[in-house]
Amino acid sequence: MAHITINQYLQQVLEAIDNRDGSFCAEFLSFKHPHVANPRLQLSNPEEKCQQVLEPPYDEMIAAHLRCTYAVANHDFVEAYKCQTVVVQYPLRMAFQAHKEDNWALPLMFAVALDLRIFANNAEQQLQKKGKGKVGDMLEKAAEQLMSCFRVCASDNRAGIDDSKKWGMLFLINQLFKIYFKINKLHLCKPLIRAIDSSNLKDEYSMAQRVTYKYYVGCKAMFDSDFQQAEEYLSFSFQHCHRSCQRNKRLILIYLLPVKMLLGHMPTDQLLKKYDLMQFADVTKAVSEGNLLLLNEVLAKHETFFIRCGIFLILEKLKIITYRNLFKKVYLLLKTHQMPLDAFLVALKMMQVEEVDIDEVQCILANLIYMGHIKGYISHQHQKLVVSKQNPFPPLSSIS
Amino acid sequence: MSRNRSNRTRGAVNLHLQQQKPEAENAVPGPQGSCTTMCPLYELREREAHNRLHRFEILAGTEKDRRPRADVVRTVKEYSRPAAGKDSTRPSDLRPPSVLLKTTCYLIDEIAASPTLQPWTEVYSFVFDRLRSVRQDLIIQRCWGPECKAILERTVRFLLYASFRLCGEPLQLYDPKINDTHLQECLSWLLESYSQQHSTDTTQSQSSAQEEFHALNLLYNLGSTQMMQRVLELPMSMRSSPSVNLALLVSQAFVEQNPVRVLRLARRLDFLQVCALHRHIETCRRKLLLLYSHGYNSRNCRFPVSQLAILLGLDDALTAELCNAHGVTIQGQWVAFSKTQFIETPLTQLRCVKMHNMDMKQKDFNIRSIINGSF
Repeated sequence: MAHITINQYLQQVLEAIDNRDGSFCAEFLSFKHPHVANPRLQLSNPEEKCQQVLEPPYDEMIAAHLRCTYAVANHDFVEAYKCQTVVVQYPLRMAFQAHKEDNWALPLMFAVALDLRIFANNAEQQLQKKGKGKVGDMLEKAAEQLMSCFRVCASDNRAGIDDSKKWGMLFLINQLFKIYFKINKLHLCKPLIRAIDSSNLKDEYSMAQRVTYKYYVGCKAMFDSDFQQAEEYLSFSFQHCHRSCQRNKRLILIYLLPVKMLLGHMPTDQLLKKYDLMQFADVTKAVSEGNLLLLNEVLAKHETFFIRCGIFLILEKLKIITYRNLFKKVYLLLKTHQMPLDAFLVALKMMQVEEVDIDEVQCILANLIYMGHIKGYISHQHQKLVVSKQNPFPPLSSIS
Repeated sequence: MSRNRSNRTRGAVNLHLQQQKPEAENAVPGPQGSCTTMCPLYELREREAHNRLHRFEILAGTEKDRRPRADVVRTVKEYSRPAAGKDSTRPSDLRPPSVLLKTTCYLIDEIAASPTLQPWTEVYSFVFDRLRSVRQDLIIQRCWGPECKAILERTVRFLLYASFRLCGEPLQLYDPKINDTHLQECLSWLLESYSQQHSTDTTQSQSSAQEEFHALNLLYNLGSTQMMQRVLELPMSMRSSPSVNLALLVSQAFVEQNPVRVLRLARRLDFLQVCALHRHIETCRRKLLLLYSHGYNSRNCRFPVSQLAILLGLDDALTAELCNAHGVTIQGQWVAFSKTQFIETPLTQLRCVKMHNMDMKQKDFNIRSIINGSF
């Protein structure tokens, strides 16, 4: 592949098209394929050559692709992105003309869509280094193009199920998710999620695509504080992610762990060691022991990592559970159902919680009661917390 | 004045604000304005001829004339919606950044902060519109420089102050939603222009401005994880500055559902920060009553009203009013919290303005220095 001539390349493309071999053809358009490193193909003006061998619109599409390889060889990702936007237009046009009733070209669409997103990313990074360009601009434009591709697939009502372009929906949605997450516009994911939820193909797509999809939907649910749904989706994603994709499994775990912890399920050290996520070990320890001091220390220690992953704020929510565990310890120590509020104040002060007084203790307790973590009430007259004789600290997993 | 109002109908605002920031800093430069007065001469003559001057722009002594004359040093270019066929890029109609900054300072110092111009709803209306026109000129000329930041900073402070001062005014005189939309736009534009500036180029005073506005943004958008995440990603020096740190503490207390702590920390805020936070304080007070309705729920609950008043930051009378509105029973000096009786949506229309933090007497503050940022 790295040594073929331009003519040989074009002949292979032509053959693939004639045979309606989507996957084979897609390789010739994909930057994952070694042909892109072939200097004989990196041409700045390949139009004539392409026209000699291929029919429109393939000739222009391939020409744009080859211009793109030229740009990439010169490390000009801004130019590469521009070329790729031209390439992506063709599958769209073809879907309406030559491929109205079939979907063999879907792999082509996937390959060029993926590269479009990657180049948009690279181009932005290149511009950022020079101090130019607004973050997210190119990615947003790429998203618009991908949306057009998506709409073409989603609105395909003509062909039978085997030839339907609807099979392209999930792949494109996953690409769009990646962009929306990167530019922090998660609300744009909603219509896409609705589209899949209402699709009868949703459980028929490939496992890989479904794992990716559920990962993003799970993450979004987490950021929307819908922890039950987040757990469901992220768990699916983790369980069905192929065991060889360690990096992906770790990534899923980074978001699944906080969700599980908020629902009261602490991870084992064994799991954390396996996936190199020992940052969570101290968090787990602090939360289960009700050790607020340790929790604050650990969050500060691994702050950079947690903030970069975007889970710092979620982990802070574990404070409430830590309060609950701490206060449960006080209850177990005092062995009475009527505990002086002072005892809790002392406990908090031991944890070096800053500027806390009896008023705040009451508020924290009131919140725990409201959330169902404590069954009881506060008596202001007696300055005591009176808890139920039965199961005053219900298990965390029983509380949504 | 009714014309100004019609310019601000909501639907139009939403449509129009889709392209309200200039394109990236190093994109193709925009047209360069050459108008050296606050109002282009062409517009001045036009409005004078058609009797469309605002009363703040009329030359003293000519108010009662059939066609009042424009006072050149007090006439300011008004906002006009872009329309097909209308060329808004004529350099003679555009004011360069230095003139825009002078215009902004005039609007703040001589109009907004004027002790004599009344009523303030009309002052607000005028300044709001003219500042919008200033921003329009900035956008057309694709400005991002220091004048742009200085203008946006003053605009944000003005809109924040207005949101507090005009809270509770009738809808036709002041629309909090429209104020909010513009405030969010300006904040987002301002913070973005800060992020485009390299940290090595930032002076000390620019750093403190950035700290101030990150803090204000956080307080105004209390509870927003997106804003909190953004602040967490700031360099440590900025995160640990007093204003940002305090704003973060308030946010964290809010997210942790500790309204007692929020209201307590709120006492440490300066005037402008209170303006930013004030619309959330109502939520906090309601939350406090909700939590306590559950936490103190018992048959013989007796919680002193005076104590509750301290926690809420209100006097006894207002505390009673708030409790009544939420179904919280008061018997003499005692509150009898009950989780079944608490009502989420208040029964009576509570006027936020009545509950505005009471030891924050706005008259003690100099509007001019608040908005210019030198208090």
